[in-house]
Amino acid sequence: MDILRAAAIAALFGIGVYQLLRRNVIRVVIGLNIISNAVNLFLLSTGAYDGVAEAYASAIGQRSDALPQALILTAIVISMGGFAFTLSMLYVISSRYRTADNDEVKGLTH
Amino acid sequence: MGDVVIILPFLLPIAGAAVGMLLRRWHRLRAGWSLVVLALACAVTATVFWQVAQSGQARTFQMGGWPSPFGITIVADALSVTMALMSQVVFVFGFVYALGAKDKAVHYETFHPLFLMLAAGLTGGMLTGDIFNLFVMIELVVISGTVLTAISDDRFGTEAAYKYFLISLIASFTLLFGIGSLYVSYGTLNMADLAQRISANPEQPLLPIALILLSITFMIKSAAVPFHFWQPDFHTASPTPVSAMLSSVVVKLGVYGFMRLTTLLAPSATWIKDLLIVTGIVGVIFGGLGALGTHNVKRMFAYSTLAQVGFIYIGVGWGTSLSLAAAVLFTINHAIIKSAMLMLSGYLASRAPVKTASFSVVRGVGRYAPLSGVLFFLGGMALAGLPPSNGFISKWALFWSGVVAATSGAIQDRWTYWLPLGLVGISSVITLVYVFRALMRIWWEPFEPPSPEEKVKPRGDSLLAPAGLVTLCVLLGLLGQPLTDWTQRVSEWMTQPGKYVQAVLQAEETHRRNFSVQP
Repeated sequence: MDILRAAAIAALFGIGVYQLLRRNVIRVVIGLNIISNAVNLFLLSTGAYDGVAEAYASAIGQRSDALPQALILTAIVISMGGFAFTLSMLYVISSRYRTADNDEVKGLTH
Repeated sequence: MGDVVIILPFLLPIAGAAVGMLLRRWHRLRAGWSLVVLALACAVTATVFWQVAQSGQARTFQMGGWPSPFGITIVADALSVTMALMSQVVFVFGFVYALGAKDKAVHYETFHPLFLMLAAGLTGGMLTGDIFNLFVMIELVVISGTVLTAISDDRFGTEAAYKYFLISLIASFTLLFGIGSLYVSYGTLNMADLAQRISANPEQPLLPIALILLSITFMIKSAAVPFHFWQPDFHTASPTPVSAMLSSVVVKLGVYGFMRLTTLLAPSATWIKDLLIVTGIVGVIFGGLGALGTHNVKRMFAYSTLAQVGFIYIGVGWGTSLSLAAAVLFTINHAIIKSAMLMLSGYLASRAPVKTASFSVVRGVGRYAPLSGVLFFLGGMALAGLPPSNGFISKWALFWSGVVAATSGAIQDRWTYWLPLGLVGISSVITLVYVFRALMRIWWEPFEPPSPEEKVKPRGDSLLAPAGLVTLCVLLGLLGQPLTDWTQRVSEWMTQPGKYVQAVLQAEETHRRNFSVQP
């Protein structure tokens, strides 16, 4: 299970970075979103440190560390606001620059 | 519980912003209310500062009454309260500038609440003793700073905001990764507790990774050289009162993070200090050369921030008692000088025929604004580090701390002091060149508009705030002794991290004594 989770984090991170480096602005934001999910999954897995059960423990009597889950909730809320704001900025940019290409958004060059 | 007073510096602006949103129809009322709230927060911070300075004791507050390593701790020790007071004072001046500004952005409904949120996030980030709360406060700063830039009069404001927000989100993720790594290694998020556990067990495999991630975050926050690409764009395109705040105090959040990282969290990790010296040198050179090559006054000062933050990095990187004091002094003085200079460039842009600060437009405009020329001259002297100004004192303190360390340290380490000193000397000359080049272009050369109907506007932004800040520069230069003595005491606190740890964990014992349930 640990390996699966580590692989999932790695895969999400890889996909996210790949999308982040694409030229399309929408893909960049989606890449960031995927990276944020990788980070959240990583935080979730930190709840299993030092012999405490994992967050998905189901047996009675086991308990998982609740703090990372609170951290994830905060991170999710903050990143949700951030992405909504990024998308609204992209709307302005795409209508002002008439492009969805990151390299074409270059008004501030001097 | 502790003192409720020490959470007021950031609680008041948050509450004030919430009320300010309700007052969005009444511009004058909203502006007045926000000014009152900001001034009140500044007064509270000054009170806390005074009490901490008098008693020599750190003050703590436990959010929600949870005992110390578990709840969110707010700590007002010498360093954090000094930084918070610096930010609040500069924010009050910035707000006064915004009240007298002619920009459309400052009449935007949410400008004042967002400005208050920026102040709240910055002060909260400096006062907090919990590393996850630091993340939340940084996000508050990022989001409000971005929105304030996106509503700028500059038509490239949204583009600059987009660039900044993208890199800030990446910084947030690296910070979250670092926090997760620290938590999984040490099982705590409280900075004092973390410092204790790290020094007890520095061999955890994830610790270097966490420190690298935190360093990357703080470097992005303070726009240090490998991560600076967004900064000149962002600080040029934002409205003047905002860019004066961003370039002077908001970048100091990253610097503050490094001060905590090298003195409290991981004093044993010397590679962070080496990294700071190297990035500081590169920043000093690169920022100076970048400022020389720009065609815009605001952009010139944005690049200059790169260089000045490099100086502070070098001071933090040397890490001796004297150089830490010099770094704190430099941080305070640079915040005052840089905000004044950016306000003056914004003033020129508001007087120019077309509202921009590019040299081709503001050339000769200064002939119609002699008072701003005097202020620019005094501020430029402070930025370049000429006496009698506070810039001279901070630069001299930094040089002197390097010379003392170089002549007293081990022979093989001496080049780590002499090499930066030499480069820093060269860079000071570069500062002098670009500041006085701007002065010559704007106030000396004749005003020659491309067409005769383009005239210098009779009125621009209010000069009250930059005049106040420049007066503060000169006063701190002439009567700088109390501030210099105080930074010495701050560096004493910083070199004894046990004092911080004790203050936070003692609060826990007091709490247990007061609130324990008797069987």
